[in-house]
Amino acid sequence: MAMNFWEAQRRARSKTWLYLTLFTVLTAVVAIIVEFAIREFVGTDYDTSVPAAGLAFGAITFFTAGGQYAQFCLFGGSSVAESVGAKKVDSQTKDPAARRLLNIVEEVALASSLPVPPVYILETPQINAFAAGLSKEDAAITVTTGCLALLNRDELQGVVAHEFGHIYNGDMKISMRLAAMVMGFFFVIYIAMRILQFSNVRGQSRDRDGNRGDPIIVAALIFLVAGAFTWLFGSLLKAAVSREREYLADACAVQFTRNSAGISNALRKIAKEQYSHEMPQEGAAFSHLYIDSRGGLNALFATHPPIEKRIKAIEGREYIPEEWNIPK
Amino acid sequence: MWFVIGLLAFLAILLLWAVGIYNRLVQLRNQVKNAWSQIDVQLQRRYDLIPNLVESVKGYMDFEKGTLEAVIKARNQAVSARENVAKEGGPTGSASIKELAGAETALKGAMTSFFALAENYPQLKASENMKQLQEELSSTENKIAFSRQAYNDQVMVYNTFQQEFPASLLASTFGHHPSDLFVISEDAAKKPVKVSF
Repeated sequence: MAMNFWEAQRRARSKTWLYLTLFTVLTAVVAIIVEFAIREFVGTDYDTSVPAAGLAFGAITFFTAGGQYAQFCLFGGSSVAESVGAKKVDSQTKDPAARRLLNIVEEVALASSLPVPPVYILETPQINAFAAGLSKEDAAITVTTGCLALLNRDELQGVVAHEFGHIYNGDMKISMRLAAMVMGFFFVIYIAMRILQFSNVRGQSRDRDGNRGDPIIVAALIFLVAGAFTWLFGSLLKAAVSREREYLADACAVQFTRNSAGISNALRKIAKEQYSHEMPQEGAAFSHLYIDSRGGLNALFATHPPIEKRIKAIEGREYIPEEWNIPK
Repeated sequence: MWFVIGLLAFLAILLLWAVGIYNRLVQLRNQVKNAWSQIDVQLQRRYDLIPNLVESVKGYMDFEKGTLEAVIKARNQAVSARENVAKEGGPTGSASIKELAGAETALKGAMTSFFALAENYPQLKASENMKQLQEELSSTENKIAFSRQAYNDQVMVYNTFQQEFPASLLASTFGHHPSDLFVISEDAAKKPVKVSF
């Protein structure tokens, strides 16, 4: 066993907690800064004993994130799979590739002591897969036809075990929560932009009256800057957490199958496969769910770590691309 | 008087303690039985698949009668070993899991040489029926391997509890014996049946 998976899991879990705490602290700190900034720059027009602006910032973020998360909760794993156009595999299927996939899912469910989830197939040539659903009871696993065509049995088992790793660790819940928080920050930007747009029209008409420096515009600008800052930071943190969970799921794949070659050879094939350098268009919105995503602008915003690093983590040794040998 | 009360209290505590150990032993034994039934289901499935396999290759592999017979013989031995285990009360009775593990090892060996020979028959390799049977067999093989891990883990917990003080004083009085691990012994048989052509 190239990997001490218990150790890897412990490390990844504690790091994830660190990120989540950072996220909460960030919101609180920025809310306080917003409050002070508005007191400073808006001056006498803003004169209340309650910290209204800070509370407003907190409330907008909190309620948007809460609403967004509630919406995710209503959305079960199966409906996510269906919304990207994947088809459910009939449990009595006679199709050999689908049969094999169902068998593998049953095997890994046995190995991980998780319930057997519904299985979906997404019609696309790229090698990819994702797990959706917030709990292990309503989780669903989706695999692309590229996976079925290009991976051998062990590799497909590794990929399925990786997705079971996400279910086992509750990763979908965490990434949905983070996505909801980022959405909350984004909504602050949206509101500020709208206020600016709205008051610009009014402001121009007022220019003739010589009435400048509208306190609403100043307040909106402060909200805009605060929203943009937290949104950027939140996006980076969300991506970082997501990358950490990928390593953890890889560790679980090794734990469940007791076979590190399966998942690492599958990752090698993904790295080689030209198609897989693009996300399936059908599911770009769920990039953080997929086993691999290359849609990211750069490493900081990527929801998945570089494949070479993942293989290194699984196999425990440095990895030279020239020596990539893909088994049939 | 106080001596009698003290003695009774002591006996009551002793009794409660014994009841606790008794219940824990029963609980652990049931967990072992449950883990065993997971393996048992898969073993049965494999024994059912093998005659189908032999039947469907007979036409292609006329010359390999010896190999086919070896597979059937190994399969029948494994079936009767499994029946023995069931008759003697499963893994927690006096049954010898080791005997079944031996039969399983032999069966795996026979299957390995069978599939090695099947490589020589391109028509057989192309047959849809054959491919389907192979897929079912390798999946069953994996399920046996995964449920064996779970079973062996449970047996270890059960056996350790019996052997540790103070349960070791009472375990055999209550009719508990260490269960056998289900281990496929030979190195050659450790590899799952290679069924990918």
